[in-house]
Amino acid sequence: MKEEFLKKWQMGLQIYRPLIDNTSVSERRKAIKLSADVAMASLRKGTTCWSRALIQKTATEDNFLVRQMLSGIKAETLINKKLPKVMCHRKIVRRSKKILRRRQSRSAIEEVAAKARKLVKKKTQGLRNVVPGGEFMSNDVLLIQETLDYIVSLQTQVNVMRSIVDAAEAGSERTAYYLGKLKFAIEDG
Amino acid sequence: MSNRRSRQSSSATRISDDQIIDLVSKLRQFLPEIRERRRSDKVSASKVLQETCNYIRKLHREVDNISDRLSLLLDSVDEDSQEAAVIRNLLM
Repeated sequence: MKEEFLKKWQMGLQIYRPLIDNTSVSERRKAIKLSADVAMASLRKGTTCWSRALIQKTATEDNFLVRQMLSGIKAETLINKKLPKVMCHRKIVRRSKKILRRRQSRSAIEEVAAKARKLVKKKTQGLRNVVPGGEFMSNDVLLIQETLDYIVSLQTQVNVMRSIVDAAEAGSERTAYYLGKLKFAIEDG
Repeated sequence: MSNRRSRQSSSATRISDDQIIDLVSKLRQFLPEIRERRRSDKVSASKVLQETCNYIRKLHREVDNISDRLSLLLDSVDEDSQEAAVIRNLLM
């Protein structure tokens, strides 16, 4: 997975190659990050919700890059794919819960359990905010599955990027050594 | 059809205990701070969720940080230097 990510990321950066010398640092930084994100998301080939959402989000920031990085047809379907309409209808849930609550008398144990549930719900919402496309995952099982996959992908992204920047910062004399390590690390997988 | 959907959305806010246990065991490898709690699973569930959020945010920050460093590197390196060539080969 590391090798694939690196290849795709490099491909994305190639697109910026002719521009790299004439752009500002912040534009360059954006290019680096966006290509890394698209590279990471494209590894999933549209099979996960988070990767589709991330591609769509990146497309709003740089449509050209996304189209170039993904093969033609796939790019169209992934960018234009309608995100699911089923969202958590919180108002309805809140209202129905309020009605239910009025009808129930609560024991101390029920109170504790209710508080715990509320806390879990709050934390789950927090998770939705950090996972791309999370706001469209009303199914908690899906949210957890997507989260796990997203974390694994993020780790790959970070590991490869870190190897590259460490190697680049190490300077020319030591670079050969780091390149060897990098190659080894990637092949080791 | 609509009945099913409304039932689904009212239970959509709950995570079952099995799913929590599954998530905990998978996140264990990333989050060594999580210990088995003898108390209710729901208490540890919120902790797991919180730690997960924190971890994801941490990874985001790392990506941003690395992107910053890389963009500065490309900037500070002399056009014809060996370093420039190396970076170009690595990235392009």
